Amino acid sequence: MRSQAIEAAGLRKVFHSTSRRPGVLGGLRSLVAPERVTTVAVDDVSFSVSEGELLALLGPNGAGKSTTIKMLSGVLVPSEGRCRVAGQVPHLDRRANAQRIGAVFGQRSQLWWDLPALESFAMLRDIFRVGDDAYRKRLDELEGLLELSGFWRQRPRHMSLGQRVRCDLAAALLHDPAIIFLDEPTIGMDAVVKEQVREFIRYQTAERGRTILLTTHDMAEVSRLASRVVLINEGRVVYDGGLADLQREYGSGWKVRVTYAPDAALPEVSGLTGTVGDEHRYAGTDPAGQRDLLRRLLDRDDVEDLQAHGDDLEEVMAEVYRRRSAAIEVAS
Amino acid sequence: MTEIRQAWRIARTSALYEVLQPGRLAGVAVQLSLQIFLTWCLWRALYEAVPASGGLDRGQAVTYTVLGTLYGRLRGPDRGLARDTVVQHVREGSILYWYLRPVMPRRYHWLRAVGDQAYGFGWALLAYLACLSFGLIGLPASAAAAALFALTLLLGQMVLYYLLALVDVACFWTLQNFGVLAIIRLVQNLFAGAIVPLWFLPGWFQTLSSWLPFEASLHVPISLYIGRIEPSGAGRYVLVQVVWVVLLAVVLRRFWRRADQQVVVQGG
Repeated sequence: MRSQAIEAAGLRKVFHSTSRRPGVLGGLRSLVAPERVTTVAVDDVSFSVSEGELLALLGPNGAGKSTTIKMLSGVLVPSEGRCRVAGQVPHLDRRANAQRIGAVFGQRSQLWWDLPALESFAMLRDIFRVGDDAYRKRLDELEGLLELSGFWRQRPRHMSLGQRVRCDLAAALLHDPAIIFLDEPTIGMDAVVKEQVREFIRYQTAERGRTILLTTHDMAEVSRLASRVVLINEGRVVYDGGLADLQREYGSGWKVRVTYAPDAALPEVSGLTGTVGDEHRYAGTDPAGQRDLLRRLLDRDDVEDLQAHGDDLEEVMAEVYRRRSAAIEVAS
Repeated sequence: MTEIRQAWRIARTSALYEVLQPGRLAGVAVQLSLQIFLTWCLWRALYEAVPASGGLDRGQAVTYTVLGTLYGRLRGPDRGLARDTVVQHVREGSILYWYLRPVMPRRYHWLRAVGDQAYGFGWALLAYLACLSFGLIGLPASAAAAALFALTLLLGQMVLYYLLALVDVACFWTLQNFGVLAIIRLVQNLFAGAIVPLWFLPGWFQTLSSWLPFEASLHVPISLYIGRIEPSGAGRYVLVQVVWVVLLAVVLRRFWRRADQQVVVQGG
């Protein structure tokens, strides 16, 4: 049995700030008697990630994903609850924790904005005290995976977003961490670079055995990379389980759309829900039913067009939130 | 060895912003030369009308203000151009990476400041030698004045570091209050004598200034250099500088500890 690389138990984070009242008088009043505002960013989050596992932490904007990652990576100190990364409390010894983890926050760069990326890499090599041989070896490997050499002599301020994030991914792995936190690493990227980054992430778990905690809004990415997901909403975990189970439990099932040749005889199969123009629509919840239908359709010569759809993950997530909200309303 | 290599690598960061870009390097040289020249012209012109003022003759006043201009370089390169000031990191949220490295933010900040000030000192020294060779400024008033100038300059640099660091760490709390930060910077320059030599300001202002740490960074070393403060009276000033270094170090340590506990990352 694999041991736990990341553990969160009852994590809660409360931020206190002051709010400025509108207008000049309001501003003066705020200066004398500031209005205190309390925000609960994370209310009660518990989950764990096994060594070598990739877990996708999902949720709408403001759900508390990034705050959770910042607590787990040791940047923020939890208001309540506890967390352990590689068996240690991350914020209590940030120096030791930094050696064990790597992190990329897609909207922020850890590269020095006005220095060539290679200079930033060398800086991180010395900060993390990576030996010269190990550094060269890792840089070669990262160059092979991310194709950095075409632009690593440029400054980040001259790079495209895709180039900058690829350099950030390399920077996060130069010290060979066992655990990686990726907060929306592919946000704003074009399809080609996205695919390259996804393959890079897949390689890191499948081939290098690293543990990855990933947040993203890209459901194709989730389907491609994660077998287990944790959904959080309003700072609380609303689902923790396998992706397939999630789709089974909350999904609306499969759909198949077929256009037959004129004069074709319709097959005698169950699941036909209707016809729109020339298009025949089938739907069901049993995946075996979909497989059987597709097998029979592919054997026919009179099928002109065929489209098969699984559950749209975004719809599935929306359904989870809907049912949870309804349950809370009933309970209250 | 790795410790030294790490420190060296961090300390030289801001210098690289200029050294790797010859255009920027040339810009700094031109800007500094112009500043020195204009300061020199201004104070010579002022003394055409008033032969002596504030207890300084023309040579002393020109030397004070030109050295004051060089003092501006002691802070190192403008990191704002490279989006690398603490307030920029706090505002953009990239400050979080300071907490994801095996060098604590306090040490990282200190190494960066040491590098910046050492690089700035290199510039100031070159400019100082150039000013001397062109006869724009005078030599130290005496050998004792030169030695005390070196000592108080070093202590003044430490006071300057702590003052700048406190303003930087204050960004963790005063993020929305750029007005306060601007006022702190203005007060710092005014009471250091970087805008006008403190000898020209009213007595009550000089008394007030003597209770604050700012004059220790610029006014005291330069006044010793030009002989406005006699070496025999320097002991009190050195003692005040040492007290400020110790006090500010304790306050900064507490500031950092609180900042580390309640760091807030902007933008989710």
